[in-house]
Amino acid sequence: MTDIPVPRRAKIELLVRRDDESFELQEVSSSAAWVQMCPTRVADADFELAEVTSRVSHEPSFILKNRKTERFLMLSEPERFLWDQMHGHTALQEMATAYVLKYGEFNFDIIPSLVRKLQKAQLLTLEPASRLRRVLARNRQQRLLRAAEATLFALERINISSRRVQPFFDRLYHWGGFLLFTRAAAVVCVLLGLLGLAAGVRLWQSADTIAAGFGGHAVVAVISVKLLLLTTLAFHQLVHGLALVHYGRRVREFGFTFLHGILPTFYVDVTDIFMASRRARVVTAVSGTLVHLVLGALWFLVALYAPPGFFRAFAAASGIIQLQTFVIALYPFCFIEMDGYHVLVDALGVPTLKSDALTYVAGLLRGAAPVPWSREAALYLGYVMLSTLSVAGFVAFNVLLILHARS
Amino acid sequence: MVSKAADTADFIKTVRLFREFNDPELLALTGRLRERKLRKGQVLFREGDEGEEMFLVREGAILVSKAVTGKVEQVLARFGPGDFFGEMSLFDRSPRSATIQAETDAMLLALDRDNLNGLIQVNPRAAAAFFHGLVQVFIERLRTSSELVAEITRWGLEATGLDMESR
Repeated sequence: MTDIPVPRRAKIELLVRRDDESFELQEVSSSAAWVQMCPTRVADADFELAEVTSRVSHEPSFILKNRKTERFLMLSEPERFLWDQMHGHTALQEMATAYVLKYGEFNFDIIPSLVRKLQKAQLLTLEPASRLRRVLARNRQQRLLRAAEATLFALERINISSRRVQPFFDRLYHWGGFLLFTRAAAVVCVLLGLLGLAAGVRLWQSADTIAAGFGGHAVVAVISVKLLLLTTLAFHQLVHGLALVHYGRRVREFGFTFLHGILPTFYVDVTDIFMASRRARVVTAVSGTLVHLVLGALWFLVALYAPPGFFRAFAAASGIIQLQTFVIALYPFCFIEMDGYHVLVDALGVPTLKSDALTYVAGLLRGAAPVPWSREAALYLGYVMLSTLSVAGFVAFNVLLILHARS
Repeated sequence: MVSKAADTADFIKTVRLFREFNDPELLALTGRLRERKLRKGQVLFREGDEGEEMFLVREGAILVSKAVTGKVEQVLARFGPGDFFGEMSLFDRSPRSATIQAETDAMLLALDRDNLNGLIQVNPRAAAAFFHGLVQVFIERLRTSSELVAEITRWGLEATGLDMESR
């Protein structure tokens, strides 16, 4: 028997211009593009889905019908789960993650074979996923939108990363990183948190005096504090990586990028933790955020004992920002898929909660056909309502802080 | 000066279009060429520009790209010493079909339309050799383009997961 050689994946070479007339060359493999594709199923009116239960195995399966072509497909329960994600907002890579979280196994063959099956039955379209990018692309004749698109594109291209970071994290862990995952570290963390909280309460009582230390440069000070915060995000990600080492998993990548082309951030690829226990996943998610709790508490303690002036105001503001970041990272209801969100969806077993909830609520707002009330519907509504209220509260709190500091 | 002209003539002899040229013809051609230096990253001309010259690459590497979307262009080809480009606009007077930029510092020799016409009119034998070489290179580039189209189609099919065999 002769082995059929596996054809190499096709690549294209692209030249991307920068604003200063220089350019960079990027080779993009078809496989890299494939995992970022967001499959979009046909409109709801164009398909029907019915559940059938096997009389032999008593396991549910589903019949999917294309109303236009009258073609039928039989879907298993995991395939139906994937079908539900194909609303154009979830990339295949994210679907694979959701699949692992739900079924606890890496059976990724199921995804390409399902995509092929659906395409054959003409149940998928191939539209670009990002609505914002579609709108920008459609309106390139407007200079402002063209500039916005170019800026987003340029920022998205900025990615400084390395895939050979495992030895670095191993060394960091063995040189003392392991101490972070001891009971003593947990106790210190709790104590610091309590001390920081007490310091924060005392500082709040003299907030006016402390804020006066900025001397009329509140906005500049807040911006510089946020820049300082950016550097601490690197520590946050380092601790995530150390948690992976602690649980014997591999750190695949560490780097810096602009999330969605807007938010500067450091990141670490922790996908290998999906192979570990739920406890490991929770510890990995939470440990990174504790960096902000510790730093916030320390800044508050520094501010408490610092003499009045700019430095004291700066320390207090840094403490507030760090604690805000701690809360945002751990608080799951803010439309941002951060550490707390991942813990929540892991616990609920609903890995695509945000996109499902947004799709559900958008349907309600558009006046789409009423969806029968269910626990899932309640969860979706609860998630969107809580997140909306939380974001509004967060914005109001920051506006209040800035006004307070300026007055 | 003579030495420089001789060097240039030796180089031109390596260019496929001029391999059949004899020494007097090469020397005559040398006088019609103009040196053009490019810094790394510098654009020589852009897709859509008017074109009056073709270029021989004497030193460095040249990138040929075509606009795809926004600031993204697809790299179509690379040229190195002994290669030539830009001849299409000389003959069909159409705007440039692609953008040319230097991937490294580069030195080019430019031949404009008037000088090419002069060469053709004065020396029919050299002109015939030139066009024979040109046709051979065009055939090669056509084949390369067909392969590129196939490669890009394959990329699109793989990137979208489209399975045409079982449709």
